[in-house]
Amino acid sequence: MSSNHHAKDETLMRFAAGTLAAGPSLVVEAHLAGCSTCRARIAEYEAVGGSFLEDIEPTQLSETALADTLAMIDQEDEMPAPVSAQKPVEIDGIRLPDALRGCDIGRWRWAGPGVRMSRVGVPHDPEANLILLKVGPGRALPDHGHVGTEFTYIVSGSYTDRFGQFRPGDLAEMDEDVEHQPIVDQGADCICLAAMEGRMRFNSVIGRMLQPIFGI
Amino acid sequence: MHEAHNHIGEKPGWSVATHRRLSVVNSEEIPPAPAAAEFVEMLLSVATRKDRQAFAALFRHFGPRLKTFFMRGAMSAGLAEDLVQETMLTVWRKASYFDPARAGVATWIFTIARNRRIDHLRRQRDPASLPFDPPEMPPSQEEVFVVAERDTRIRSALAGLSEEQQTILRMAYFSEKSQSEIAEELGIPLGTVKSRTRLAMNRLRTLLEDEK
Repeated sequence: MSSNHHAKDETLMRFAAGTLAAGPSLVVEAHLAGCSTCRARIAEYEAVGGSFLEDIEPTQLSETALADTLAMIDQEDEMPAPVSAQKPVEIDGIRLPDALRGCDIGRWRWAGPGVRMSRVGVPHDPEANLILLKVGPGRALPDHGHVGTEFTYIVSGSYTDRFGQFRPGDLAEMDEDVEHQPIVDQGADCICLAAMEGRMRFNSVIGRMLQPIFGI
Repeated sequence: MHEAHNHIGEKPGWSVATHRRLSVVNSEEIPPAPAAAEFVEMLLSVATRKDRQAFAALFRHFGPRLKTFFMRGAMSAGLAEDLVQETMLTVWRKASYFDPARAGVATWIFTIARNRRIDHLRRQRDPASLPFDPPEMPPSQEEVFVVAERDTRIRSALAGLSEEQQTILRMAYFSEKSQSEIAEELGIPLGTVKSRTRLAMNRLRTLLEDEK
């Protein structure tokens, strides 16, 4: 599966730095599974992090830090290797990205004519705003009024907007000020995984309250 | 255990530095650090022999750097130290997953520290959130043989950035701060942070492509 639409460099860097929110991270991860170009860039940005870490000035640790860590190592017996026995996830018999293993996939719910939506629960971040959308042929993807960038990964089917055709494996990354109206291509439903950022950043409570006001 | 000790020789074993570091930190009280290739040997020794001395050498080198890394992300010294221990404990546990064909030791440890930080921030907001433990990605084709070359390429690309550009990228890596918080800290408008970040990114990308 080779992709035509990729993640932006800045997004890949934030993914590598660990500062991209959980929802968008999973959408990017879904794309990465089939895109060696973006994976190579992630590896580069991780190496940038490694280089920064290597060059950072050291801060003295407490005298017992090493001994404490060795003591923790002593305490744990032979830990069984964590087995990821999670089954592949699917919906409507269509295999979903492995990035969603362990996530809680809700049922399809009506979200407008020809549009079904399912919430995706992320175990390591219950606040993540992640959904699956299923849109019928010829239908427009609903306008969900996002604050901040929206990330969409195409699972099956395809849609077209003024940026071109988006097919399985592609990633669409749209800033909030980008106007586009994706229309699902004829022939099949289009299922996509979408996350929005903006409302679920790592912010303080007050920051979160102010966000809608200032649009940050 | 004892075999491992014999294997690596006398006490100072791993901490003897035979290569100089690219950038000198502080003064003479910090011995020059071992080179990347030695870290690889150490980590592989931890993986295959549960070599505590090698682990201790890695801890002495990376522990204090990890502490700075966490503190830059606005954590207290105490909390940063806890996360250093968590990170190094994970290094011990997961050493067998380290693949020198895919990443250098500093990069691999950086990714572990990054994941521990994500975990910590999520637990802070929701104590019930489960550990973040992303699966290993399959390597990309280019990845197989170029680790050392890539690291060199990245070092020289970073060196090609202005001081200001490096600072802004470092801040993007080391803290969870939003761009507006970074703007406040640097005392410059948000738009400037955004444009500087973009410029730094583009410059880095150009330099990386040039080095290829």
